Amino acid sequence: MEVSKIEVITSMNKLTGLKSALSKLGVTGMTVIQAIGCGVQKGTYEYEPEQNPEMELLPKQYIMVVVENDKVDKVIDIIKKELYTGHIGDGKIFISPISNIVRVRTGEEGMDALK
Amino acid sequence: MFMEKKLGLPSAIATGVGLIVATSCLMSLGQGTAALGTGFIITMILACAINILTALSMAELNALMPNLTGGLAQYTLAGMGPFVTILTMVGGYLVCQVIAGSVECAMFGNAINSVFDTGIPSNVLSIAMIAILIFANLHGVDLFAKIQNIVAYVLIGSLMIMGLIGSLGLGTGEPVAQPMNLAGSFPDTLGLLGLAFFLFIGCEFVIPISKSIKNERRNVPLGMVLSLVIILIMQIFLVIGMSRYTDYGTLAESASPHILYGTSILGTVGSYWMILVSALAVVSTVNSAMSSFSFMCAGMAKINLLPSFFLKKNKKGAYYIGILSIGLIEILVNATGMSTSNSLIFMINVAIVFWMVSYVISNLNVVIFRIKMPKTPRTFKVPLGPVLPIIAAVGTLFMIWNIDPNPATRNLIFMIDGIIFVVLAVYAVIWCKVRVKRPLFHAIPMHEVMAMENEMYLVAHKSKKGE
Repeated sequence: MEVSKIEVITSMNKLTGLKSALSKLGVTGMTVIQAIGCGVQKGTYEYEPEQNPEMELLPKQYIMVVVENDKVDKVIDIIKKELYTGHIGDGKIFISPISNIVRVRTGEEGMDALK
Repeated sequence: MFMEKKLGLPSAIATGVGLIVATSCLMSLGQGTAALGTGFIITMILACAINILTALSMAELNALMPNLTGGLAQYTLAGMGPFVTILTMVGGYLVCQVIAGSVECAMFGNAINSVFDTGIPSNVLSIAMIAILIFANLHGVDLFAKIQNIVAYVLIGSLMIMGLIGSLGLGTGEPVAQPMNLAGSFPDTLGLLGLAFFLFIGCEFVIPISKSIKNERRNVPLGMVLSLVIILIMQIFLVIGMSRYTDYGTLAESASPHILYGTSILGTVGSYWMILVSALAVVSTVNSAMSSFSFMCAGMAKINLLPSFFLKKNKKGAYYIGILSIGLIEILVNATGMSTSNSLIFMINVAIVFWMVSYVISNLNVVIFRIKMPKTPRTFKVPLGPVLPIIAAVGTLFMIWNIDPNPATRNLIFMIDGIIFVVLAVYAVIWCKVRVKRPLFHAIPMHEVMAMENEMYLVAHKSKKGE
């Protein structure tokens, strides 16, 4: 399978621009889940002088897209540019291989299920 | 929450053009034309090309650290640390704004008297205008905010038409019998690069409005570059027109070259046209400069590079310390009676050295960030790696060296600027040790500089220290 899963955890904005940019690139679907969480700063706001002693969970969004391997670099570049603000909390991107895809309605598998 | 983006490329260009052109630029244009005739066009093209490269660097810095109010200061704080930032961006840039604003005010009095002969000294008229603008700004009345763009369009449109009339030989006045080109060789044109630089400064003022520009990645850099090119074209027409219709000797002596040119090509109508347009433009430019100076000071106080009293607001919500500071200094400078073309050009040259230094530093910042943060996403990147920013920095240094063709004047300018830089360096060292409490040349991490933009940053950090 020449397909990868791209998962993005980021703050609660910039979704509209990202959606539009991925659509232009030919990405055929995306899933967005509202979530709470924190990263290495333990949920400390960027203006605070000291880091939280305990993890503070902040509102985030989890975005998942599945794309062909040859599109991964381009998609990641677009995501980075769309989400970048230079501020703490811009998020992280996780990339992992997919072993198979099944479309429930038709039973198609692999790349056929993605088209 | 998403901000509604309304401004397209034409608005970005209009803003850029309006902010770059000031009536004091016409003083430089008159002086350059009087010295080189149409040869000054070569000087302008070189200065414009270098400024276009700097504009591209600014656009990359804006892409790397978007939506900052302090602009150049914050980029330098993250690139080179607090000492260089205070020296060049806080001190130098603010000093430059004050001097350039004072010259613009002086042009107002000169322009009025060159047409109406009021019998009132020019500097008294200028001071009266500054006093009115201080009063208005302190009362939170932004006199010209709504018509700022209209004034800019009228100014540019008028200058473009006047330039075309002059260069096509359509004026009602008599052309002057004199050679069009006075530059004997290419090196002659290089001597006035510093003067020509003043015609193209200010494109960085487009950056603060980038948030409200549609497709900012494309339109901000493109808008800045096109603004500079449009201004170049307009000024080329004016240079040709001036060479054709105004006597070089008279032009060199004139403290209001735009009025002189208007009179030369269209007689009284031309002088009234130019006085109306330029008076509106001066008042609007000085007014917005006064307001933005106070905001700039407040922004720098927010990142702890200026005393926090610049953050104090009066009951009308105006940053009154900043407004009073720039207003009173402008009154003081104008009270010295500077009004001749020579003294104004000298003041401009003293001021723009600071401006050029800040441009050199900005170009170097691009190179530093390319080395320190090569993988950080940039929605706009200057093409050809670090080559163009380095060319821009070297080109700007070359312009500083050619700030005046007369070596004695050049040395005097460097001496005055040097003294101001030494004073600022002392302030910078003391401020870094006492207030910032960071190593002088240690760059502050970018994420921390970005965090300083948050209005809660200073509050949270002060409360931690128990202040």
